Amino acid sequence: MINKNNDLPPFVKTWKQFYILLVIWLIILIASFYAFTNYFQ
Amino acid sequence: MSYIDWAVLLVTILAIIGYGVYKSRGEQSMDAYLLGNQSMPWYTVCLSVMATQASAITFLSAPGLAYTSGMSFVQFYFGLPLAMIVLCVAFVPIFHRLKVYTAYEYLEQRFDLNTRALTAFLFLIQRGLSTGITIYAPSIILSTILNIDTTITTLFIGGLVVFYTVYGGTKAVSYTQLLQMSIIFCGMFAAGIMVVHLLPGNVGFEKAISIAGKMGRTNAIDFNFDWKNPYNIWSGIIGGFFLQLSYFGTDQSQVGRYLSGASVGQSRLALLMNGLVKIPMQFLILLIGVLVFTFYQYNKAPLFFNSYELNKLEKSEYKAELDKIQLDYNNAFATKKVEVEKLDKALDANDQSKIDLQRIAVKKADEETKSIRKELTDLMTKNDEKANTNDNNYIFLSFVTQYLPKGLIGLLIAIIFLASMGSTASALNSLASTSVVDIYKRLINKDATDREYVKASRWSTIIWGVVCIVMALFASKIGNLLEAVNILGSFIYGTILGVFVVAFYLKSVKGKAVFYAAILAEIIVCILGFNDVVAFLWLNVIGCLLVVIFALVVQGLMGEKATDLQNN
Repeated sequence: MINKNNDLPPFVKTWKQFYILLVIWLIILIASFYAFTNYFQ
Repeated sequence: MSYIDWAVLLVTILAIIGYGVYKSRGEQSMDAYLLGNQSMPWYTVCLSVMATQASAITFLSAPGLAYTSGMSFVQFYFGLPLAMIVLCVAFVPIFHRLKVYTAYEYLEQRFDLNTRALTAFLFLIQRGLSTGITIYAPSIILSTILNIDTTITTLFIGGLVVFYTVYGGTKAVSYTQLLQMSIIFCGMFAAGIMVVHLLPGNVGFEKAISIAGKMGRTNAIDFNFDWKNPYNIWSGIIGGFFLQLSYFGTDQSQVGRYLSGASVGQSRLALLMNGLVKIPMQFLILLIGVLVFTFYQYNKAPLFFNSYELNKLEKSEYKAELDKIQLDYNNAFATKKVEVEKLDKALDANDQSKIDLQRIAVKKADEETKSIRKELTDLMTKNDEKANTNDNNYIFLSFVTQYLPKGLIGLLIAIIFLASMGSTASALNSLASTSVVDIYKRLINKDATDREYVKASRWSTIIWGVVCIVMALFASKIGNLLEAVNILGSFIYGTILGVFVVAFYLKSVKGKAVFYAAILAEIIVCILGFNDVVAFLWLNVIGCLLVVIFALVVQGLMGEKATDLQNN
């Protein structure tokens, strides 16, 4: 059952923190792809 | 295909549809039929959102794109996580709070009926047209690969989707998508492992990527800004952000998915997880294309992957020229293979100077092959002006059917069917909900009972299903189908997004101003798009900004006029 009142995200305390995590994840991905491009070319 | 493959294909498809139909059985209210009673957990919504966006074209075109031009396409999705954040902050709470069935309902509450009708109308045109392509794309390819008539594959895909979408509504769509995506992940993972397994014994995963990289296929990041290049980091982050925000925020086929979440939190989590997973998923799909490319450096690829077009040329008066091209191609492949093997040895020896020399040699050999293929496509056009000279979409499936083991071929063909069905089902469901909620219920029959609206939704799904199937049957040749869908969306999404941005953030702008601003912006976007002034991703940014600017100007002029009248 889903608790409709429990609107908090998992792992972190607020949605704002989750948004920041997602931005960090994007930066990590771009940096990894940049490294991937340079390494294999 | 063997009997085993046919059995795997049919059992997979029928089992998934059976599951969706079973989970959505019973009497349905309009709430249940269009929003699944807003009871879905985040993981179902997330997979449903992903299945809606990832059509069959995604799994056919993306590996083909990586094979021919590298991995730069992954940058197209860089704006997606940022768009997910804006959606979670601005769109999801408002849509949930107002308990709307469609995104356009909100616009009447904020502006007026005209603006709601205009955006709903633009959506119906765009989604109606692109759903035809969504069905047509895999149909034409599967018919070539399986040697079945296109009409049969189109009717098979379209007919099954219409059946379970009409029967079970949103619940059937979401539950089938849950299983579809799970099987798609497993199947693509198995395909990736098999490609590596099929490479020569001394070529492992890393070396395979190295070889492709030396031939220019691992270009995942491009920092060079170019208005005309759709795949660089700038167009990906900025243009991609606007496209994804427009798509997820204003396209009912996506809004309908996350509105079925059990709460604001469940919808948010679904979208954010989509933001987390989508880019790596797309990267891995492209990586499969890169591995297939390396595989074909050791095994001769067909001169042209679309065998139908090649057969046409063989039976024509240009057969002698074709034979010569084939001979040149065989020689070029033999030369290229020798150079690739030298590169292979240089990589083993880790000899940087030799690697650099071989990089130039393999690139030259690759260019030679490309120029021979160009000769071939020129000959195809000479023979038939309407010939489809782009075989990107045939590369991956051609590899699958020729080299993968029995059973896995059936599963991967099933994936293409399932992906097509998943995105088509969402599209039909959204076309039906917009037609009924924004047009029928609002303008034609305001006082019907809940049961009558459900009945109207079912009929609407059937009608849209027939329209899309007919369009798919009559669709003519289109270059890269994945791009075609995105280009079509970019013509309209920016304008609709602009209307929503004004609705959320410019409280002083009223209905009339935004209505005229949207029409004016759409005209300009169409002029820019048809004249190919900028790469299509930028049309989303331009459309959105034009609506915002025009709305402010028109509102300003109208406000001044009103003030003048009052003063006089």
